[in-house]
Amino acid sequence: MSIGVNLPPFLQQLAEDVKRVDVRGGTVGECLEELVGRYPRLKPRIFAGDGRLAKGLSVYINGENAYPGELARPVRDGDNLHLAHLIFGG
Amino acid sequence: MALNTGRLLRVDLSGGKVAAETIPESIAADFVGGRGYGIRYLYEELPPGIDPLGEKNKLIMLNGPLAGNKAQAVSRWMVCTRSPLTGAFARSACGADFGAWLKFAGYEVIIVEGKAEKPVYLHLTPDGCEILDAGEIWGQNTGETQAWLNERHGKNTRTACIGPAGENLVKYAAIVSDRRTAGRCGTGTVLGSKNLKAIAITAQRNVQLADPEAYDKLAKEQVNIIKNNGAFQSHKEWGTTATQDITNGIGIYPVRNFRYGQHIDYEKITGEEYRKLRTGDMGCYSCPARCGKVHTVASGIYAGAHSEGPEYETIWAFTGPIESSSIEASIAADQLCDDFGLDTISTGGCIGFAYELYEKGLLKKSDTDGLELTYGSHEPMVALVKKIAMREGIGDLLAEGTMRAAASIGKGAEACAIHVKGLELPAYEPRGAKSQGYNYVTANIGANHCYGYAAQDIFGAPFPRPTDRFSEENADVVIFNQDGTASKETGIVCGFSGGWGWADELFGKLLAAARGVKDFEDKDYINKVGERMFNLERAFNVREGFDRKQDTLPKRMLTEPLHTRKAPGEGQIVSHQDEFLDKYYSLRGWSKEGIPTPEKLKEIGLDFVLKDMPVK
Repeated sequence: MSIGVNLPPFLQQLAEDVKRVDVRGGTVGECLEELVGRYPRLKPRIFAGDGRLAKGLSVYINGENAYPGELARPVRDGDNLHLAHLIFGG
Repeated sequence: MALNTGRLLRVDLSGGKVAAETIPESIAADFVGGRGYGIRYLYEELPPGIDPLGEKNKLIMLNGPLAGNKAQAVSRWMVCTRSPLTGAFARSACGADFGAWLKFAGYEVIIVEGKAEKPVYLHLTPDGCEILDAGEIWGQNTGETQAWLNERHGKNTRTACIGPAGENLVKYAAIVSDRRTAGRCGTGTVLGSKNLKAIAITAQRNVQLADPEAYDKLAKEQVNIIKNNGAFQSHKEWGTTATQDITNGIGIYPVRNFRYGQHIDYEKITGEEYRKLRTGDMGCYSCPARCGKVHTVASGIYAGAHSEGPEYETIWAFTGPIESSSIEASIAADQLCDDFGLDTISTGGCIGFAYELYEKGLLKKSDTDGLELTYGSHEPMVALVKKIAMREGIGDLLAEGTMRAAASIGKGAEACAIHVKGLELPAYEPRGAKSQGYNYVTANIGANHCYGYAAQDIFGAPFPRPTDRFSEENADVVIFNQDGTASKETGIVCGFSGGWGWADELFGKLLAAARGVKDFEDKDYINKVGERMFNLERAFNVREGFDRKQDTLPKRMLTEPLHTRKAPGEGQIVSHQDEFLDKYYSLRGWSKEGIPTPEKLKEIGLDFVLKDMPVK
């Protein structure tokens, strides 16, 4: 079972410049836990102190926004997750 | 359910007349409102070739069909005109309360025509509109002007006005309301050219919706979606005062007039550093984000400087172009721009241009009124803001914008003029976010970040598909962003709220409830309106003589490698602009010269434009 996690440009530099990481997990939260286990510098950028998703970060499952309840969303083998900072700048 | 197309107020300053009109159903059906109404009326009413600062130019102020009610982040307002900076179509958007107040007065559109013989302001109420003498406030800054009008007309008054920069016809003067600005393209300059100091509206809340019950239900749904959304919470906490943490991190924070992608003293200008000087926050009508972060300088040479802002673009404008690390100077410069009524982006861009010319010896101390424009030196930057607004000394040249100033200086100064179609570039380096760069190239107003914001390149957004930010093969994504933005600007939706999870599902339904037009619930219908708007704006520009030749990034981006310092992207240039344009035009249904084809115009219901298009 393999889930692809695609990192936005800003997080790539905290993960040895990789753009995509293949992980395992049954939910978005489990996948992201494995991701930060492999790249600990990502942890404070992905999870807030209370274990929820960091503010300003959005998760997409196969292109669909996983909000609300992102971390509990189930994922399946072959799914693609995208993390994105949807803060926009103006 | 009654159809609600909105009302239009026509103000003829030359003749001293005002008249109300009902907006025809056909225009409402095809253009919905907001920016759609703006380009529709401008195209029909503005003859090609007129002087943007002459009596024949028109300035259109708009809110959207959703403004002034319970829905969130949809009460912004906008100005459309022919830009004195670019000669192209101009659209500049703004927040605060003015959009809601315009609705309360009973209008969605004000068309200002002609020119007053002496300084005047408009006072608009639900009972009528008067053209009044502005002699006492001509020359005053925007804060003083608004205070004077509030004192005269009462606390239920909201104002959009110009400061001295607009009066002095600085080419990129802004229109200011509260401490927010319609900054880009010189809309304040057009107001100044008409001797119109301000538009003041005195009104109280009232509802103008086709189906208020349905609208309120949708608005509640919207609030429920927004309140727990992480992107919203982040925006509420930071505004855009920490966006530089990301852009500098990935090497797209333009430094030293777009030669570097990272600031050498970045740790001094982080979001956290700005937070240390934060003293409050301010927001727009019916929006819980309150994203305008107020900063106050307590000590040092800028002690007392106080501003709602700077937000990201302004943080950049007064740190990046001259590589200053003084956040205090950026706050002082922001305050001056708001007071004088200047676009911070073009102001910062023009100052960065001057610093590079000084470095290269094309400007000398004798040219700069004794100022030493050396990188990192922020006091001359703050001094230049005032000089530009008042057209003093070197400021008179810089007030013309980089394109005209470079042409005036000659000697190769054009290579340092960083603009598209005359509009100075904003705070995203095109060589490190190429879809954003190509948005600058093809945006109808020139280099504007929010005309089709490439969140794919910058933040990793995966819709409509993920992009490689260094790729030049994303013409479809650029079009998706531009047409999507146009469709949302029929309701003048705040761009920041695009990430809050509500718009895709609820925007069309809210429009339908506001207007009483069921078709607006159909996403394809609204998207088609966006495409129609974008094409009509392009046709406006074509009619003014624009074509493929003006669709280009500055030469620097095409020939000089980017230096990022540490981030990925070192050595990047934009190398396939011609191929990109071929693809973009083809997908748009335009000719090789960038002219909308008859087939495309007919397909999207712009048959009336056919007669104006050259055959190329």
